[in-house]
Amino acid sequence: MMNLLKRSVGGRRAWLRYVLAPALLLVGQNCTSLTEVPHDALTPETAFKTQAEILAGVAGVYAGLRPTEWVGFMTLEDLTTDAAVVPTRGNDWYDNGQWLDLHRQTWTANSAGELAFVDGAWNDLFSGVAKSNLMIDVISKSGLSQAGKDSTLAELRTLRAWYYYMLQDMFGGVPLVTTTELKQTARSPRDSVFKFLEKELLDSRQSLPDKWDAGNYGRVTKGVANAILASLYLNAGVFDKNSGWSATAYNSCKGVAVTGGDACAGAIAAASAVINSGVYTLNPNWYQNFSLDNKSSPENIFVIVHISDANGIGGSWPMRTLHYNQLNTGWGAPWNGFATIAESYNQFSSTDDRRGMWLVGQGKSFETGQAVNDRNGNPLIFTPSIADLDKASEGEGVRFNKFPPEPDAPTGQSHPNDFTIFRLSEMYLIKAEAELEAGNTAAAQADFNTIHNRHDAANPVTVSRDAILKERLLEFSAEGKRRTDMIRMGKFLSWTEASAHGHVNKSTEAFRLLFPISSNQLGSNPLLTQNPGY
Amino acid sequence: MALARSVFSAITAAMCFASVVGAQGTGSVRGRVVDSTNSQGLPNVSVLVEGTQLGTLTRSDGSFDLGGVTAGSHVIRARRIGYAARTVTVNVTAGGSTTADIKLTPQSTVLTEVVVTGYGTQRREAITGSVASLDAAQADKGVITNATQLVQGRVSGVEIIQNSGEPGAGSQIRIRGGTSISASNDPLYVVDGVPLQNEQTVAGAAGIGSINPALARNPLNSINPDDIESISILKDASATAIYGSRGANGVILIQTKRGAGGVSEMEYETYVGAASPAKTLGLLNGDEYRAFVKANVAKLGQSAVDALGPANTDWEKELTRTALATNHNLAFSGGSTQTHYRASLNYFDEEGVVKANGLRRYQGRLNAAHYAWNQKLRLGLNIMASRVNNTFSPSENTGGFLGGLFTNMVIYNPTFPVRRADGAYYEMGCPPNVQTCVPSAQDVRNPVAMAEQLMDRAPETRVLGNVNATVQIFDDLSAQTTLGADNTNSDRQTFAPRSSAVGAAYGGYARQAERSLQNTNFQQLLTYTPRFGVNHEFEIVGGYEYTKNDVQGFEAQMQGFITDAFGVDNLGAGTQASSPVPISYHDESQLVSFFSRANYGYAHKYYLTGVLRRDGSSRLAPGHQWEVFPAISGSWRLSEESFMRDMLPSSMSNLSIRLGWGKQGNQAVQPYQTQLLLRADPGASYPFGGTIVNGLRAAQVGNPDLKWETAAQTNLGIDYGFLNDRITGSLEFYQKDTKDLLLDVAVPQPAVVSTRIENVGSLRNRGIEASMDGQLYRSGKTTLSGGLTFTAERNKVTNIGGVKFINTGGVSGQGQSNQYSQRIMVGEPIGTFFGPKFLFVNAQGQQVFACKTGSPDCSNGQTTNPSDEDKVVLGSANPNFTVGLRNNLNWHNFDASWLWRGEYGGKVFNNTALVYASKSDATQGRNFLKSALSMPDAIGEPAKFSSRWVEDRTFTRLQNLTVGYLVPTQYTAGRQTRVYVSGDNLLLITNYTGYDPEVYVASGLASRGIDYLVYPPSRRFTLGARVQF
Repeated sequence: MMNLLKRSVGGRRAWLRYVLAPALLLVGQNCTSLTEVPHDALTPETAFKTQAEILAGVAGVYAGLRPTEWVGFMTLEDLTTDAAVVPTRGNDWYDNGQWLDLHRQTWTANSAGELAFVDGAWNDLFSGVAKSNLMIDVISKSGLSQAGKDSTLAELRTLRAWYYYMLQDMFGGVPLVTTTELKQTARSPRDSVFKFLEKELLDSRQSLPDKWDAGNYGRVTKGVANAILASLYLNAGVFDKNSGWSATAYNSCKGVAVTGGDACAGAIAAASAVINSGVYTLNPNWYQNFSLDNKSSPENIFVIVHISDANGIGGSWPMRTLHYNQLNTGWGAPWNGFATIAESYNQFSSTDDRRGMWLVGQGKSFETGQAVNDRNGNPLIFTPSIADLDKASEGEGVRFNKFPPEPDAPTGQSHPNDFTIFRLSEMYLIKAEAELEAGNTAAAQADFNTIHNRHDAANPVTVSRDAILKERLLEFSAEGKRRTDMIRMGKFLSWTEASAHGHVNKSTEAFRLLFPISSNQLGSNPLLTQNPGY
Repeated sequence: MALARSVFSAITAAMCFASVVGAQGTGSVRGRVVDSTNSQGLPNVSVLVEGTQLGTLTRSDGSFDLGGVTAGSHVIRARRIGYAARTVTVNVTAGGSTTADIKLTPQSTVLTEVVVTGYGTQRREAITGSVASLDAAQADKGVITNATQLVQGRVSGVEIIQNSGEPGAGSQIRIRGGTSISASNDPLYVVDGVPLQNEQTVAGAAGIGSINPALARNPLNSINPDDIESISILKDASATAIYGSRGANGVILIQTKRGAGGVSEMEYETYVGAASPAKTLGLLNGDEYRAFVKANVAKLGQSAVDALGPANTDWEKELTRTALATNHNLAFSGGSTQTHYRASLNYFDEEGVVKANGLRRYQGRLNAAHYAWNQKLRLGLNIMASRVNNTFSPSENTGGFLGGLFTNMVIYNPTFPVRRADGAYYEMGCPPNVQTCVPSAQDVRNPVAMAEQLMDRAPETRVLGNVNATVQIFDDLSAQTTLGADNTNSDRQTFAPRSSAVGAAYGGYARQAERSLQNTNFQQLLTYTPRFGVNHEFEIVGGYEYTKNDVQGFEAQMQGFITDAFGVDNLGAGTQASSPVPISYHDESQLVSFFSRANYGYAHKYYLTGVLRRDGSSRLAPGHQWEVFPAISGSWRLSEESFMRDMLPSSMSNLSIRLGWGKQGNQAVQPYQTQLLLRADPGASYPFGGTIVNGLRAAQVGNPDLKWETAAQTNLGIDYGFLNDRITGSLEFYQKDTKDLLLDVAVPQPAVVSTRIENVGSLRNRGIEASMDGQLYRSGKTTLSGGLTFTAERNKVTNIGGVKFINTGGVSGQGQSNQYSQRIMVGEPIGTFFGPKFLFVNAQGQQVFACKTGSPDCSNGQTTNPSDEDKVVLGSANPNFTVGLRNNLNWHNFDASWLWRGEYGGKVFNNTALVYASKSDATQGRNFLKSALSMPDAIGEPAKFSSRWVEDRTFTRLQNLTVGYLVPTQYTAGRQTRVYVSGDNLLLITNYTGYDPEVYVASGLASRGIDYLVYPPSRRFTLGARVQF
């Protein structure tokens, strides 16, 4: 080195040779190296080379169900109705007014709840669609055997259909995209989305298994496709229309033409296919459908599978509803938010065994079973009435305990009970409602009794639309069905409650049957049009 | 083309004119440089033989030796920061030795003769851009833990907000305001020519319970401020364009001290400081809380009265302390005429004013240079190694749902004691004689126990250095090669023992999180300085630079331990099944640059600078990776024009104007943003049949069009000097337009991830900066000098793409989910507060707000339940103007200096008061701010964000006051010894009701001016001494 440098001082040419040339060489080598290779992540080009990677990709599509459970079901489907409310409790739960905005149905296109929950639901559900599209694309091009491809593609198409089912339920017509590229797409009419869903479910149910082995519990089956179809057909009076559904009258499936005939008949056929499949039976212990070990319940058709795990891939319902002092998970105490209103709680007759899903009266610890106090040391008493939704006390409002907590859960998002999307009992009630619409009252009564009488045989009920709506409240509270049911029944806007500052009849605001498209989405995709009224 | 041709011919001409200096006989020059006021020898004065590369630095007694000077007449130039430069003419004879004694006159503190400007230095008068420089020695008063504090209040256009009072906490440094929304607004730091990797050097905090992520540490923590010789701040585009894609937020150049050849020298400095909280929040004490609960038994219930404890605990006082800081510096330098070195050692230990928290630094530095080949080759080495032991206060700052340390300090019931009778920490709901207990009131934990029981520390090792070689190929051409590296390794260790209230819920919790950063830098520079004719000055710098960044990390956490004995030292002893999985990550990126700068000066009157830089970054999308950053600027020294002399006042010694334009970039996007990435992690897994199947999750939607965020800046500057430059100053006007803003925006659905980084939007910054420095008074042994800085800046968002607004400034605290205090909107500045306008509290104790007719719940323009339509602009967090004032007084052997800073106008959101100045907290058995007692709000009224909590931010602060005494040498055996006392943050004049209006809490995109339970700011007194041997 010294020699080289010494020589280089000798003269101009030598200097050029020894100093400039190596410098230029270095320049030349380095300026080409601007490609970046991720070390801790894959790209679609480098991923999905093995069966395990493909299964991982499919698992990722299922994992997309978890966020929809919280925003989609609990918040938007239940809180906007009489089924649930999050009152403001002093300094707790004001949160920019977002919770009561939903309950009072006063949301606007830019209100806090809209930007948080509605925008979140749009993103979460479309993310599920995009993940499905990506995996469908990957598997179609993969080297899997045709049989292997068919069943996995059917599984993914059914999941995608479910994401689209929820999207059209909340927003009406939405962009229909089945490819992987990122592009601006205009909204398809709602009836086109309905037709797409119907076709996807009919096509894929052929290739789906009746049942998976225990190690694959939770994956999509024929029963899942049929259950979604049954619900789709029952709601065809709303779902299969671009407008013209009624905000104040019953929207019947009768007379809505679908593949193979009338929507009511379609609902009956799909529900019957599940009932008669021999795979599912009503659980004599209703509570086991929601218990910590509900994976063994024979009644559940489509669930979001949860486990109690430190990574938080379980449920969080108990955290949202229980009082602070009732539980202590690795995340700390529950949050004392969700309750129901007195009017809904009072619909549970004293002889109905489902009334036990509510926590009322003295609050107890789930760890010790002992009575607990509120945070100021006064006994914690859950009361059905909430005097003023704007300033509720810690104990007002009865609490959901349908999905009971795991006291040893490592995090608040680690309760192991699977969230139930479809259970066999709903197939009976769908069938009952469709039979009633089709004019088969006796068949309707029989199906209705199958469900009602297992809980409250002492008080027989004559089947009617109102009876079914009530029965569905009793049966499916906390399962995210209420908004869809009330819209179909024409009652979503008209319910009222006694609580001060509660919901008042909004029958004149028919536009609220659909949520607005958030300004974030309108900004990112100019082809989107806002739902009328917002 | 014509221009290119003429430039080319100019270069050719320059080459031809370059004369080869014949090597005839040589002699030497020796002498001493002294301060003209006290005849004390001045160390570290740069002594240069003009027209040659010969030069040296003076020793501690001011003496110097220069050998190898060709015989003949030479001009010797002596210059030192803080003194006016001086030239003397000497006649060197072959083989002889000539003496040159030089007296330097102290000058204002900021103006320096030679300024480091990036890839070289420039004479102050020749600088055409906006460059501030300061002498670190002058600014180094009181406890300075990192270089940025030296700049605070001394340079206009630079705003420095300390994130918190925690030792080592990061700070917000904004040069000419923030110009980015999503990307970083931090300036580029360059230490001894090598860019510093300004990334989080320590892993984020553990995510358990209430242990929340702390803010980024200051990247300069590992550098000993005492090693710093000078700091230059490049503000406008014409100055920063040479740093191209990293110049958009300004550049801070730090030059460390170097040794002088000759006699060995040694210097020792020490200080000890004591700090205490500058202000308290004002909470109810035990008696007041008891009285309140008893008076409101009807509302709170008899049980609330029964639950009251007998104690009278001041939790704020219990959690804080008088904290000591100790510093020892030892530096020695010396060498021969061929080899110069300076080495220093530093030990620094700073306790936080919050218990069990602090920072300790061990650091060593060696700067060495060796000259060979008749001074034509210079080999240089700058290396620094440091070990910083960070001890964090656990769950500092914003606190999540369960509440952080300071949340609990505020809300913990003051009628409960810190410890039980048996000595154990008192925890609510834990019976006596139980050692491991999960408190029942989950979200309220004894804050003193949290601080003392939970361990959160991060030892951090940083090695920063470079080797360089400069060859003087010809008299007018030199080549420099630099190889630099900046490596940091840290290990964040968190332990929550089973016996603590936090840890009990996990059966004990332990985590180790390692993070390592490697930054490698290669630079090749050619500097051509042809001399032709007396009136022309010409310099061309050309270079190539390559930088590689590499970030890797690994972390593992375990819970469910049977004992507390292991701490973080035996993670395997935890229960695997109940513990989160370990994680690791690895990112890398490269930046490749070509650049050149040409300076031309004519007759000391006209200067022109052109800069061209071409940067390529791997972080951007192919096709958008390369960008050219040009700049052009010029200056005209009017005062040198003979025709102007008559027009200017006779007292005016300097007047020049500068005008420049340039383009800067901001590439501060994370690597890999251009690609769709799939990650395998728990978020994507799904438990089929109750057994986890690992999933692949699309973690981001790539943006294949991602490109640079760029800013174009125009700068107009006026420099002036009066009374033979006894008073100097400058005035600058600028406009900076940032476009292609990097923003995280929603993408059209369906998309696997709902947002991605895109280049949308633009914003504009405009400002005025003024500074003035001068020797105000001088008589005999008394001098008084002073400096004033003034900054006024306006920021305006001009475009944010398709969306109407971006909510930001998320409000913290109970019941504040999805509540935002700020909005980014077109036409308004960043930091605009947006919310309902508060009117009054009605007879029912409810807050009433103004509303728009027709909005839900609005009657007569009033509502208790404001909706989205009722929200309005509530002002902005940006000050109207800021001022800094400093003075230095010397009287005989005494010296005194002080620094005042103030910001006027602007708002701050007191988030702490919003959620804790609320009597509703008592319904949960929680304490609150005393100020709530006098508010008419009903118990049970929720905390609602509104104009009520947006306060005036104006303040004036006495930042530092230092008094020193130079011990006469007869008492110190000839050694120069100075002792001093210093006070920091002595006085704060403001109407703001919180701790301190100068706050920064990160809550969303580009949010500013939000105060929420920050680490308590402190006031400090320091006693120190400096001895030179």
